[in-house]
Amino acid sequence: MKTASERYAALVRLVESRTVTRANVPLLLPAGPYFDLAGEEFGRNLLLTTTNNGVEYCLRPDFTLPIAQQYLEDGLIGAPSAFTYLGPIFRQESSTPVEFEQAGLELLGQPDADNALDQVLTFARWALAIYDITAPNVRLGGVGLFEAFLEAADIPTAWRSRIRHRFGHPEAMARLMDRLANPEQKAEGPAPDSRDTVIEIVTDAMLSGGLSLIGSRTPEEIADRYLEKQALDAAPIAPETVMLLQNYLDVADSATMAFERIADLAKEAGFDFDEPLYQVRNHAAALQALSPNADVVFDASFSPRLDYYTGIVFEMTGSDGEVLASGGEYDRMLERLGADEPIKASGCALWVDRLEREASQ
Amino acid sequence: MNTLPGGLTLAVPSKGRLEELTRKAFSSSRLTIARPGGARSYIGSIKNQPQVTVRFYPAAEIARELILGGVDIGVTGSDLIHEASENGEENVLFVRGLGFGEANVVVAVPDSWIDVQQMTDLADVASDFRSRHGRWLRVATKYVNLTRRHFAKYGIAEYRIVESAGSTESAPAAGSADLIVDITSTGSTLAANQLRVLEDGLIMQSEANLIVSRTADWTPLRKAQLEALLSIMGGVPPGISTLL
Repeated sequence: MKTASERYAALVRLVESRTVTRANVPLLLPAGPYFDLAGEEFGRNLLLTTTNNGVEYCLRPDFTLPIAQQYLEDGLIGAPSAFTYLGPIFRQESSTPVEFEQAGLELLGQPDADNALDQVLTFARWALAIYDITAPNVRLGGVGLFEAFLEAADIPTAWRSRIRHRFGHPEAMARLMDRLANPEQKAEGPAPDSRDTVIEIVTDAMLSGGLSLIGSRTPEEIADRYLEKQALDAAPIAPETVMLLQNYLDVADSATMAFERIADLAKEAGFDFDEPLYQVRNHAAALQALSPNADVVFDASFSPRLDYYTGIVFEMTGSDGEVLASGGEYDRMLERLGADEPIKASGCALWVDRLEREASQ
Repeated sequence: MNTLPGGLTLAVPSKGRLEELTRKAFSSSRLTIARPGGARSYIGSIKNQPQVTVRFYPAAEIARELILGGVDIGVTGSDLIHEASENGEENVLFVRGLGFGEANVVVAVPDSWIDVQQMTDLADVASDFRSRHGRWLRVATKYVNLTRRHFAKYGIAEYRIVESAGSTESAPAAGSADLIVDITSTGSTLAANQLRVLEDGLIMQSEANLIVSRTADWTPLRKAQLEALLSIMGGVPPGISTLL
């Protein structure tokens, strides 16, 4: 029987293994980048502190962002890097401060993204094994797969971005699907105004409201979206396409069954979806091979609520449903932080306290 | 004061119309609040109710004190309870509305945003705002918690809050924010600033409430004193203290 400190020592050995660099991240970090990257939604969980001149700092709420920032600042773009971390993070939940121990892996700029993701899954698998967890519940999601599906299903571009932006937010998605399924019946109105007329009307309204024409949304932007909305209302998505999308989002089953179902949906709708499915299938198979006892589920609607995730995402949960490990591919993160283009990135975070709880049960 | 065997602390807004109307509401129930030192004193009493200590606080502070259990009973706006802490409403008991201080907390955008009628429109605008303008959509408000909760409900994550202590309605014209979340009673201030409330932009309807703290230390004696005071106030069914 291993003790808690032996398990922790094994975890330290894992994050300090020879092929990776254990990152050194300060406890106190500027809060701005977190708000910039993740917005208010994540910001409400930060434990903030303010200097006398009003600059906000936070207790380290995660390792991924500072590691990625350091990677950029050190000019490592293009250099494949593997960072690990282990240490406390701080957040607030329902106004109560909480300290967690977190460990994880970040693979940045790796040439072979598929290989990198399999390494991440292997790392998570090893970490769980230290805590004698050999049969976790694994939930996979496909951000890239959903984007590919929207494109293959021939959904108008304007709608596509609206739908994409709600991915990972079940309530907002449900409302949108509802709106698509029951398009507003517009009474026959006058022919739409020309773009120039609308721009003029908006410009007048902005000037009389004392708004700057360039500081925020511009008259052109407002007019374009207004006309686009009219056009979208006039040409709603076909009911069978809405149904197809809904059926896709409803897929949540053991990985093999789920991919069958998605392939069938595509076939019925008359397009070929084997290529996009191929990668996801491979990763699911690799994961299953790593943990033969794990229950691997593919949930088509599953995604973290952050728009820098790109490919495959996953979470592993224990016996009481708490997330033990989560991660995936987030090629857009380094771009958000200032890189010129998306850079391959994948990683995972492990909730050490929960792992320990699971082990000592 | 909670360590005393008995006695209640009542928090009353310390100034303005809210103070005036609160004292009027109490005196109409034959509970006359005395403030012996005038507007500069922060402690008072109720005639013939020696067990009650009255404290005068700014309304937002009353909300915080009720949530933390620093005072037992208080009068403040329900919006302030919801704003003071993410789970503020779990720590208090709304006894009843007092029929004044009515106001709505709303989401309002510039009237010229003719393409934005509903929160779903705002979600669309927020989602590509940063790629268009190189910064987040900015919302000016003093209701940070209420805004975050309401926006989260509509799946809007891509924005930043600009905290504003006063005259929030001028933020869009001043260029410090793109839209606002603010309190309005008649809507005339919003209209004057050419701002329009979204069709589903009502975050909450607020009014001055008589509120009891759940987190205060409620001994049987103090519960009995609370019941007695509330029965004089009227309009409250007996047995409130059993919920504490």
